[in-house]
Amino acid sequence: MRWGMVIDLKRCIGCYGCQLACKAEHGTPPGVYYARVLKQEEGQYPTVRQLFLPVLCNHCEDPPCVDACPTGASFKWEEDGIVDIDHDLCVGCRACMMACPYTNRYFNDQPQHYFAQGMTPYEQTRTVRHQQNVVMKCNFCRDRVRAGKPPACVANCPTIARYFGDLDDPLSEVSVLIKERGGFTLLPEVGTGPAVYYLPP
Amino acid sequence: MAEISVKYERLIQDLRRDFRPQREWGEGRGVFLVIGHFLVGVAAGAWLFGLAFAYTPGLVIAFLLAGAGGLAHLAFLGRPERFWHMARHVRTSWISRGFVGLALFLAGAALYLPPLLLAAWPWDQASALAQAGWLLAGAGMVVLIGYMGFVYTASKGIPFWSSPLHPVLYVAYALRGGAAALLVAIALFGPPDAAAAGRLIGIWIIITALVMVLFVLEIYGALISGNPASRRSVRELLAGRLAAAFYGGTLVIGLIVPAMLVGTRLAPLSLGLLAIIGLCSTLGDFFMKYTSIRAGVYLPLLHRAMAR
Repeated sequence: MRWGMVIDLKRCIGCYGCQLACKAEHGTPPGVYYARVLKQEEGQYPTVRQLFLPVLCNHCEDPPCVDACPTGASFKWEEDGIVDIDHDLCVGCRACMMACPYTNRYFNDQPQHYFAQGMTPYEQTRTVRHQQNVVMKCNFCRDRVRAGKPPACVANCPTIARYFGDLDDPLSEVSVLIKERGGFTLLPEVGTGPAVYYLPP
Repeated sequence: MAEISVKYERLIQDLRRDFRPQREWGEGRGVFLVIGHFLVGVAAGAWLFGLAFAYTPGLVIAFLLAGAGGLAHLAFLGRPERFWHMARHVRTSWISRGFVGLALFLAGAALYLPPLLLAAWPWDQASALAQAGWLLAGAGMVVLIGYMGFVYTASKGIPFWSSPLHPVLYVAYALRGGAAALLVAIALFGPPDAAAAGRLIGIWIIITALVMVLFVLEIYGALISGNPASRRSVRELLAGRLAAAFYGGTLVIGLIVPAMLVGTRLAPLSLGLLAIIGLCSTLGDFFMKYTSIRAGVYLPLLHRAMAR
């Protein structure tokens, strides 16, 4: 089995719900975004359009970050294809950040908090699990998925623009959507085989 | 708090850019990685020429530079206390291979050098221990000369570094750095023989010409590659935020000044002049590496996805 995600760009309204849900789920510090939304405006008034591109780790079939990691901290789960980080092994060399063509890895290099007064009790509780001076990234909410729940960004998308399922199953919702609606991946030319697909806007 | 806030705001600005610059290697503590790569490359080259010229001070300098390079690498790491894990992934990771190469080099040199320097050392130069050291250091040297370019080429997120010429260029840097380090060593400790300085300058000229050709080819390749991120990197290097360091450090200090000293014979090639040429050359190599690392920008995502 290989977990994958499909994001329908026609449905995405750029509300940042996925980004916030991810932050709430993982308690990531400022400057660390497992999921984020790229936004751009095109054209001139009155023919202007806004473009949204939600991005996250692509959990590639052939992940260059795993190959580049000198310690084996970046690895791929054999049973479900999720690319993950063992933070106890990470030395913080950031080779994986240079290897990732999708720039979806972040270095957590200092204690950070959102408010000038210091860490809120919520931040203290949520960030205690994160190690400092290591690289962090999305893991498809593997704990949730193993408990039978969808990733937080999928569960909380208000327009149901995100779908999650088994890419190896040709009858799964994600496989059918990719096939029927011409799903595409980002930067196919780099040959990493992403597990995150997009449906055209 | 102010520093954290500045860094956070800069990251947000970077994430909004079409071409996000890489800042992890070369900025802040990241400069230690550049220093580490630079020192280790010079060390490997100096060891090679030290052996070729049978010049013990050159070998000692190579050992010291490699040790300093290792420390600089440790200073760069986020979790240096876990450094020994870096030997685990030799099968695919060039950083891991470099780590093993450096360990071999330091261990080998530590076995090989003492009997060269101290007559009363427990083993002599012809002993099995010293020969094993020579072999280990030689293997480590080959890895150190070769691995660095591949570290950058394997960085698929930064197209400017992904050129197939990059590994060759880094080999040439190591050789040029080694020749330059030996020029400085000769000025400090005297030449191994009367003709050594002249031969070394000749080697330095040939390698410098090779570095220039390779660098121009790499820039040309980046410009015609059709990759917008590569072109952006070249722009940053030649006409952007790194232009001053590139022209001042790489071209003027690293190339024009030593070339003038060698080519126009403004003065006879005294030992002092050799030292200046060597120092300028190594400083220029540092700037060359520093600027090309800092010029790295990530592939843009949004434009190309939306163009579909």
